[in-house]
Amino acid sequence: MEKDLQVVGFRIGDETYGVRISAVREIVRVPDITVVPNAPEMIEGVINLRGKIIPVMDLRKRFGQAEIRADKKNRILVVELHNRLLGLIVNSASEVLKLPPSEIEAPGNMFSDGESGYVTGVGKLKGRLIILLDIAKLLHRPEFGRIEEAAEPVASMR
Amino acid sequence: MSHPLDDRGGDLRALFFESAYELLQTLNDAGLELETHPADPEVIRRVRRVVHTLKGDSAACGYLGLSEMAHELEDVLLPEIGQVRGAQLAEVVLAAADVFDSLLNAYRQNVEPPSTEPLRAQIRQFLKAATHTPAAAPADNRLTARFVWSEYEQLMISEALHRGENVYNLALRIDPQSAMRAAAFQLVRNVLHGIGTVIALHPEDNSAAASVEVIEAAVACTMTEEAIARRCKIPAIVADLVIARATPAETPEHDLLSELLEAQATVTVGAATPAQGAPEQRPSGSASAVNAVVESTLRVETARIDSVMNLVGELIIGKSMLNRAIVEFDRRHAHDPLHAKLLDALSFQARVLDELHKSVLKIRMVPVEQLFRRFPRVVRDVAKQCNKDVALELAGQNTDLDKGILDALAEPITHLVRNAVDHGIEPPEARLAAGKPARGTVFLNAYHQGAQVVTEVRDDGRGIDVARLRAKAVARGLLSAADAERLSDAEAFNLIFEPGLSTAAEVTEVSGRGVGMDIVRSVLDRLKGTVQVSSQLGQGTLIQLRVPLTLASIQALMFRVNNRLFAVPLSSVVEITRVSESEIHRVDQREVLQLRDHILSLVRLSSLERIHAVEARKRSFVIVIGAGERRFGLLVDSLVGEEELVIKALPEEIITSDLVSGASILGDGTVVLILNVSAVLARLSRAPALGAIA
Repeated sequence: MEKDLQVVGFRIGDETYGVRISAVREIVRVPDITVVPNAPEMIEGVINLRGKIIPVMDLRKRFGQAEIRADKKNRILVVELHNRLLGLIVNSASEVLKLPPSEIEAPGNMFSDGESGYVTGVGKLKGRLIILLDIAKLLHRPEFGRIEEAAEPVASMR
Repeated sequence: MSHPLDDRGGDLRALFFESAYELLQTLNDAGLELETHPADPEVIRRVRRVVHTLKGDSAACGYLGLSEMAHELEDVLLPEIGQVRGAQLAEVVLAAADVFDSLLNAYRQNVEPPSTEPLRAQIRQFLKAATHTPAAAPADNRLTARFVWSEYEQLMISEALHRGENVYNLALRIDPQSAMRAAAFQLVRNVLHGIGTVIALHPEDNSAAASVEVIEAAVACTMTEEAIARRCKIPAIVADLVIARATPAETPEHDLLSELLEAQATVTVGAATPAQGAPEQRPSGSASAVNAVVESTLRVETARIDSVMNLVGELIIGKSMLNRAIVEFDRRHAHDPLHAKLLDALSFQARVLDELHKSVLKIRMVPVEQLFRRFPRVVRDVAKQCNKDVALELAGQNTDLDKGILDALAEPITHLVRNAVDHGIEPPEARLAAGKPARGTVFLNAYHQGAQVVTEVRDDGRGIDVARLRAKAVARGLLSAADAERLSDAEAFNLIFEPGLSTAAEVTEVSGRGVGMDIVRSVLDRLKGTVQVSSQLGQGTLIQLRVPLTLASIQALMFRVNNRLFAVPLSSVVEITRVSESEIHRVDQREVLQLRDHILSLVRLSSLERIHAVEARKRSFVIVIGAGERRFGLLVDSLVGEEELVIKALPEEIITSDLVSGASILGDGTVVLILNVSAVLARLSRAPALGAIA
């Protein structure tokens, strides 16, 4: 019997997403963000995480959410990529979800085309659908080419 | 390639490489010296010592190819050969240094080492030619002794010396023709015991005697070296003999082996040279004294120093947090006597912290000599390749600089030196025709200037043709003809850093090595440094590289623009002035300010970012920033103050903004971005819409 997959669940818009728990270092409230001139558009700026300066990216923008409003529930998922920390802003995040392998399905056709290779599966939990993401692939965009090259194969979730 | 080492192997090999590259540098130095003083026996002996150490070290690390090659090279390193064919010997030594270098690189990268056959052939041929000369020493005259004693034996030697006894290290080679090895060994042993107290003897007993070739011993006695030599030279049994005075616990300079062997609880004693042959070859007291210098340096991994450095950085941030807290405390409890106590404690802590910070910075400081010493060889090679006569003059080798910065400077300076020889210095005929000495000179100099280190590469060559540079920049479409005309000469010189711009008529092998002048500027940008070019046609070129003493922290001036906090290095700030909106003029689509009798180009951060300013202010500040000869004014809303900022790098892979060179965290946790001054300047010159700088 395979072990349950533990993922950190977070919400962007109406959807629930999940990333493998081992990819997430911590979850923090959104502090003041220092905007960096001429940084890539996806990068909101940098924050001070207990003495470390880490860049943050807005996942809500990344997923094309039209209206972005700051509210108290917003969180930053701090993930580690190639020994570097990166913050991802999400609408809210709190729960660790345990998904039995039997409840995870391979991504359907709707995810397989285009740039959506970062969806590694869809989990079902108590009637909710949880879209499982691969952070390294998620950041694979032309301007992040170097991240992708440098990143260790966090690769598939299973 | 087999590596007969345990887990410690990695560490040992890392040590070996570090030391081996230093040895190679020494070998290069000595090779060049040999070229100028071909017959100097002292230089040859120095070369030989280096090669010998390299041989031993590489063998200890299992790099047999290198070890064997070094062994073969040792064969030709004889003063007698130097007397006759010193110049060619230097050639062989330099060629060998290159082969060793490529071997080392191959070992390091775990790839198949290159063939050493060409060098071997060169050595064989050289040796064959050399043996025709009567002065050449017979090949079997060599006996190299290692004198590796155990810790216990070493202790015994030290104690005997302490008691005032003479201790000699002896190495005896049993005549290979001797039929009865075991008996010969026994005989030698008896003789040694007859001389004095035998402290150490290798091999220790008869079991190994049958195969042994060299017997090494440490003997305490009252006899003179000559007397010992007479006793030990047993005809037909002892073929060769080395006598060296033992000295107390010592580590020969550069002897990596001792470091390696420390792990195996053994100590190396003395470096010995054969006792027969020329009299000056006998190890003298002074030679031993050199060897006896106690190792007072420590090799530490840079990462360890960096982690200490980081902690000190955190402490400095902590200090400014405390500072703010105390100010806050003072506001709330204005006349509390505790305030004075807190201030005392804080200033004490600040003082100690400052010392600590300086000491840690000092650990990372190394003299630029470490970089400069490689250039005599570079200049010689390049000059030879392009048939020029070039001398190199060095100055300021003792100037200290952060190791990381120095390492980063290696590539740009190498490039500039190559360029100076290849493009700067004219061929001898052209120089003579221009009324200059046939031999050109490249000067390398380094000195401190405030919190910066200036490194200069100067040549007395043909100089840069500004007119041609301008024309070429226009031809390449980098500038419009009008803009090119508007550039001052000082600005036009900077065009040489544009990729693909070179006034060199022909591309030679030397300059076609893949690094252009643009790398010079990009490295200097990264180091928060500046490059300045000045040149006089026909007289020569001077390139000055200015870098901060350290990358760890800077004194910075902080300011706000659109409510965002930024900082610039204080070293780049020339002056600060207030302006009202009415004083700012628009000329040719750019904003300028008349400051006394100069016209200063103004820069708004918002225009560089292509965003709109929140509001136009009536009065604002202008920070006049200078990079080299060039000046511009930065319009800011308010000044925040001066502070020592501990620089934290931004993750380059993600934050690719060139406008920001780093960031720092203030006492209250605020992140402040450090503006990259030279990038702002570069934008100004690249964007004709904003205009060139007056």
